[in-house]
Amino acid sequence: MAEVKKHATPMCDELKKGSWPSFVDDIEQKGLAGKQECLDLLGQLELSFKHKETHWKHGGIVGVFGYGGGVIGRYSDAPEQFPSIAHFHTVRVNQPNGKFYSSAFLRKMCDIWDYRGSGMTNLHGSTGDLVMLGTKSDQLEPIFFDFTHQMSVDLGGSGSNLRTPECCMGKSRCEWACIDTQGIIYDLTQTFQDELHRPAFPYKFKFKSSGCPNDCVAAIARSDCSIIGTWRDEIRIDQAAVAAYMAGELKPNAGAHSDRDWGKFDIQKEVIDLCPTKCMWMEGKTLKIDNRECTRCMHCINVMPVALRPGVDTGATILMGAKAPILDGAQISTLVIPFIKMEPPYDEFKDFVGSIWDWWMEEGKNRERFGELLQRQSIQELLRRTGLKAIPQMVKEPRSNPYVFWSADEVEGGWKRDAAEFRKRHAA
Amino acid sequence: MAVDKEELKRLLVEFCTKKAAFKSKMYIKDMYAACPDASPREVKNAANELVREGKLEFFSSGSTVMYGVPGFGKGVEEAFEEEKAE
Repeated sequence: MAEVKKHATPMCDELKKGSWPSFVDDIEQKGLAGKQECLDLLGQLELSFKHKETHWKHGGIVGVFGYGGGVIGRYSDAPEQFPSIAHFHTVRVNQPNGKFYSSAFLRKMCDIWDYRGSGMTNLHGSTGDLVMLGTKSDQLEPIFFDFTHQMSVDLGGSGSNLRTPECCMGKSRCEWACIDTQGIIYDLTQTFQDELHRPAFPYKFKFKSSGCPNDCVAAIARSDCSIIGTWRDEIRIDQAAVAAYMAGELKPNAGAHSDRDWGKFDIQKEVIDLCPTKCMWMEGKTLKIDNRECTRCMHCINVMPVALRPGVDTGATILMGAKAPILDGAQISTLVIPFIKMEPPYDEFKDFVGSIWDWWMEEGKNRERFGELLQRQSIQELLRRTGLKAIPQMVKEPRSNPYVFWSADEVEGGWKRDAAEFRKRHAA
Repeated sequence: MAVDKEELKRLLVEFCTKKAAFKSKMYIKDMYAACPDASPREVKNAANELVREGKLEFFSSGSTVMYGVPGFGKGVEEAFEEEKAE
């Protein structure tokens, strides 16, 4: 085992106390097993605690040939004290859809990272990538070669690029999936390779796809373009199973939350009264749903999964513009397409994305997310740019955006008219 | 309007080299001014081809990627090596 030098880290050591797992413990163990980078990292963290400022520089020309993203440059500004983390670049690796791995794959990735990097990883980053933490500039090309040739994985997105598209497990594991999320995300990743690896946009752009409105990947809150599975026919009801839930023969929520006694299942209190649009009621022993009023909140289906299932005419709802607070505050997505079938080769969707990108690349300011452009230039501009039709759901709330602005070509005669002629008929 | 790709690449190199003398890193959006007739997507594709040819280079901060002209300005890596040598 290589000889390693541990720095004095009294403040970091405080974080090892308590009953929760500690990243300090994990990093220290890895360091004491022979990785000086881990111990230097804790040493630098201690120094940052002491000075109350970071000791990382940021950025630089680091990357692999031909790629504008995927590697995030990181340099220590105290390389004499912590020489093994003088370079400490992060490599993002595009995760397999649904994050399915074999243990052999993960072992091999860890072997590569022990050999060429710090041995530390972060599974997974917020965008879903496998994040390989800490390597040196001269290792980047060999790492890229090993990942692509031995592991058949590609780098993920970073910078002003399309970020690594992400999805839930979809139809592979989930009975509620209304769309093939893995198929969609794989197709988008392949189609938009250039946008993923080479800077194209004013800022980052994220696709995320969830198979049903439960939205397990939180696409609605985290992605510039959310593709969320839905249905447009009726919720399928098994009335015998509804009766079984009411009689206590089936456990509500598929047995979740059963660690304490909540009393007998009450369909009125736990399902019908909690429906946000009040579209459910009981007629005798029969459960009725007014599907026209259903907002696909999934609550009733989550509580009684054996009795209720999504409809069979399935597709996706497209929402645009969610983001975390960087320039403006956090935003949740705005609904733009209530229903689209989303069948391969997804041409209708890709044409829509093309029109969105053309608009954003033309009008977006540097480091302006698509959601901010949408807010700045209005939904009306979105409709004009994409050819979509206005729908009531685009109105944020009554009276908040009721104004209709006409453009010159929508008005007879445009903006040119004879004011004198007008005044003959209308006194000033 | 479709613009001849080779002509667009020539305009881009000319524009970036001129600009790099006083501002070595630029956003893709800054480069649209090289040829106002070309669409943003055409400029992006031409610029990326120039990177592949080694006439331009990427500069990444991790959150934003910019373009530079090789030989102009200082990359962080280069600055880092210099600092270490001092």
